[in-house]
Amino acid sequence: MFFHIVLERNMQLHPRHFGPHLRDKLVSKLIKDVEGTCSGRHGFVVAITGVEDIGKGLIREGTGYVTFPVKYQCVVFRPFKGEILEAVVTMVNKMGFFAEAGPVQIFVSNHLIPDDMEFQSGDVPNYTTSDGSVKIQKESEVRLKIIGTRVDATEIFCIGTIKDDFLGVISDPGAAV
Amino acid sequence: MASMEPFNRLVRLAARAFYDDISMKGDNQPKTSRGDNRGMAVVVLDALTRRQWVREEDLAKSLKLHSKQLRRILRFFEEEKLVTRDHRKESAKGAKVHNAAAAAASDGQPVTKEGEEKVKVHTHSYCCLDYAQICDIVRYRIHRMKKKLKDELDSRNTIQHYICPSCNKRYSAFDALQLVSYTDEYFHCETCNGELVAESDKLASEEMGDGDDNVRKRRREKLKDMQQRIEEQLKPLVAQLERVKNLPAPEFGSLQAWERANIGAFANGDPSAADSSRNSQGQYGTPMPYIGETKVEVDLLGDGVKEEGAESGKNGSELKVLPPWMIKDGMNLTKEQRGETSKASKLDEKSEAKDGKKQDSKDDQSIQEEYIKAYYEALRKKQEEEEEKRRMQQEGDTFVSDSQSERQVGKKYKREDEDEGIEWEEQQPTGNTTEMYKLADLNAEAQESGDDEDDLVWEEG
Repeated sequence: MFFHIVLERNMQLHPRHFGPHLRDKLVSKLIKDVEGTCSGRHGFVVAITGVEDIGKGLIREGTGYVTFPVKYQCVVFRPFKGEILEAVVTMVNKMGFFAEAGPVQIFVSNHLIPDDMEFQSGDVPNYTTSDGSVKIQKESEVRLKIIGTRVDATEIFCIGTIKDDFLGVISDPGAAV
Repeated sequence: MASMEPFNRLVRLAARAFYDDISMKGDNQPKTSRGDNRGMAVVVLDALTRRQWVREEDLAKSLKLHSKQLRRILRFFEEEKLVTRDHRKESAKGAKVHNAAAAAASDGQPVTKEGEEKVKVHTHSYCCLDYAQICDIVRYRIHRMKKKLKDELDSRNTIQHYICPSCNKRYSAFDALQLVSYTDEYFHCETCNGELVAESDKLASEEMGDGDDNVRKRRREKLKDMQQRIEEQLKPLVAQLERVKNLPAPEFGSLQAWERANIGAFANGDPSAADSSRNSQGQYGTPMPYIGETKVEVDLLGDGVKEEGAESGKNGSELKVLPPWMIKDGMNLTKEQRGETSKASKLDEKSEAKDGKKQDSKDDQSIQEEYIKAYYEALRKKQEEEEEKRRMQQEGDTFVSDSQSERQVGKKYKREDEDEGIEWEEQQPTGNTTEMYKLADLNAEAQESGDDEDDLVWEEG
């Protein structure tokens, strides 16, 4: 789920950036530092949409670096248990398959894949139904439900299932070509 | 309440299906064979199907249960959403009222009542089956049971665990990312690089010796068997649910609404009962359900007033036609007051009359009141003056005929009072002229003050 929230961060700026474009430098550094990171509390920071407030800088003794408290608005993405996501399959093996929904890694183990789908090893490992009409392989897009999340301080990992109504492959790369 | 039976059957079936072996025991109490009260829940539910809103004490008494025991069961059912309960403070009178309502609900069958209570306010609890909710709850319960089994059968929503056979290190699917190996398609132990196996499969291989398929199959069979048994055993219940689905569930409403409805029916049959209930309401100030009923009465009369007003408007006479028994010698009356309105004057007054329609009608009422009161007084004082009365009566008679013809043109509803007055007047004539002046004064006063206060006075009367 996406959220638009305000976060705060202390930015350290090298003295060489002090000058007329100090503020721009600060913002570009913020974007570089923050976008794409993950915090266990808020999820993945997808994009910074604006800077609300830059506080007074504090010169750190000895180094000359200046610390600015910066308040910024950003879009974060945090997966939740029970959430339905669309994801791209990145790897298929006998134990199940991995998929990515944006920055989130999701693992679907083989017992959470419908029983009628069998693992086929080979050049392109895949899960296929007995009649061959549905195939899950690398680059397939699947709709899955998150049944568990593991949230660390800097990482979020999910377990998904496609063993439910309306879940499974939504576009087959082989069929699309 | 013709559709009660299917719902009661549903409750009885559900009770036997789900609450058969519910034991209402506190955790601290030792379980003895004597204290075993399994099946009590079923008995209570059955008893409730034969009642509507019932006082818990009464229910306890008729079930020969201790009220505490019953309360524990009822609280359980309240949590299960089968029963609605209501608690309120009330006096012995209030309890009587409930009994009256209950009696009315059960077609005059008297409810066993506890011994005389003191006129002291107690908190009484009432309970009642909530049929509409019961249908939903039972359906939901069955759905949950089936879904749980099905999920288990499909091993859905379970997070797979893996175990390393060589070093017995356990991993869950959350660790999958770290365990994945790029050389083959298995997970590998982080420490010993051994091939991991899914936990249930591992156990299976230990127990059975022949692979994961067998144990899975066995578990599956067990679950399937359970599913089948559920289908079988709940068949009558499901069928009953299906039958009940399209029927409107019996709705008793809240305790107060129910009491009001039943007392309402009761009061129609026996007005004195309604009176007594109103008294109890006034006396104890407890929130009793009869306010609505009284209001309805008032509204009815209010309608009557409106009707009357409209018709008096049609009548077109702003000045009241004095009832004949009011007209005495020496009174200075207009023609209109005597009921001798000419057609032309009526037309003139028509527009005026429409404006003052409502007020007029109120005047009508209040003036009539005043007349009657004054008249009683006059009667009491002046009964000795026989001769005077005779003369009055004769004159009155002549006017009766006049006003009666007028009445036919006009309204019928409230005039009955007036008729009574007239008849009565004929039997017992009024007093002398001095009294009459007084009456005339009252008349004028009443006509002036045709406001809301007057209206209120009249309502109370």
